[in-house]
Amino acid sequence: MNYGALLEMAARAGEIMLVSGAEVYRVEDTIRRILKQSGLEGIDVFVLTTGIVATLTVPGAQPLTLVRRVSRRETNLNRIYRVNDVSRHFCSGALTLEEARAQLEEIAAAVRYHFWKKCAGYALTTGFFAILFGGGPAECAASAAVGTLLFFVLRGLARLRLNDFCQNAGGSFVLAAASCGIRQWLLPQMNLDAVIISSLMPLVPGVTFTAAIRDTLNGDYSSGVARCAEAVVVALAVASGVGAAMLALGMTGGLA
Amino acid sequence: MNELLIQGAAAFLAVLGFSVILDVPGRFLLCAAACGGASWLAYYLSLERSPSLIAAAFLSSLTAAVLSHLFARWQKAPVTVFLVAGILPAVPGASIYRSVYNVIQGEADLANLYLMQTVQIAGAMALAIFIVDSLFRLPRRG
Repeated sequence: MNYGALLEMAARAGEIMLVSGAEVYRVEDTIRRILKQSGLEGIDVFVLTTGIVATLTVPGAQPLTLVRRVSRRETNLNRIYRVNDVSRHFCSGALTLEEARAQLEEIAAAVRYHFWKKCAGYALTTGFFAILFGGGPAECAASAAVGTLLFFVLRGLARLRLNDFCQNAGGSFVLAAASCGIRQWLLPQMNLDAVIISSLMPLVPGVTFTAAIRDTLNGDYSSGVARCAEAVVVALAVASGVGAAMLALGMTGGLA
Repeated sequence: MNELLIQGAAAFLAVLGFSVILDVPGRFLLCAAACGGASWLAYYLSLERSPSLIAAAFLSSLTAAVLSHLFARWQKAPVTVFLVAGILPAVPGASIYRSVYNVIQGEADLANLYLMQTVQIAGAMALAIFIVDSLFRLPRRG
């Protein structure tokens, strides 16, 4: 067996999962399972939220080690699901190393939902969260409109290749300003707080924070702390965007 | 009863939308949304009967986690696919935002209040998920 190619494939699988927001223990588990196919005893895998280290100890030869650095992350459950599938089929012998490798590359490039479906997703989420936050039909419609706008702003900022912090801050700035505008000119009775909070739901790091505590309970202290920091930074970006919008509107004529 | 129906349907649709944002594969969308709807109903009913946020968050995640494990076994998919969507309605995203927003605004008391709320909710949810994970791991070993 070609140990180098196996190690390379295992790291690629882990990398795709980590970039798609999988938990650290799940990534470690998948890489270890794939490496077990080598039949070797010395398998060590160490995964952090920001990188992967895997070592195969080959008897009578130099040990093989591979390091992968991961910087960008966004949740993509489709990729996690499909990589899991590939690793299961590879481990049961239904896939060869080359086939698995090719499928992984295809997964990494695949886009599941295209532009308009994603856009509808944003509108649905923000619109109906308004009802969960105690809003009525007016808040629901306003949040859906603001959520759609948020989607276009985020896509636009992503095209400019701004970093995540600026994307979140810019998105929430536009979102807060638009909500204030809707209340000023269209729906004076609207509950502004409910509209802003529910439009923020796609950005806000609730799942990240809960995952941080789960990781910590699982004993993955380093990734627990890393996720916690990530949640605070995202919340800071969102809050500063909204805060800046409120401040700007207050200065220019007391909209808020 | 009518209000309950509206809340459940709204949670279902909101989670359906979020599942698309999170790229949940098409054939799991309805299950994921059902998970979210059920967990929000548990949250809502619990808050109606007692004001404890911790109890509400705990019960709703318990519901979401049990359902996700059942769906995962039925559909042969990883638990995360359903769990992330399922816990979404109760997750303390709004509280963590409000906490940091009040830090920026200089309202230390409110910031503290919301920070406490965030930690309480997230802690209760993580604990519920952790308990269900451990329980579902038991029979596989035997």
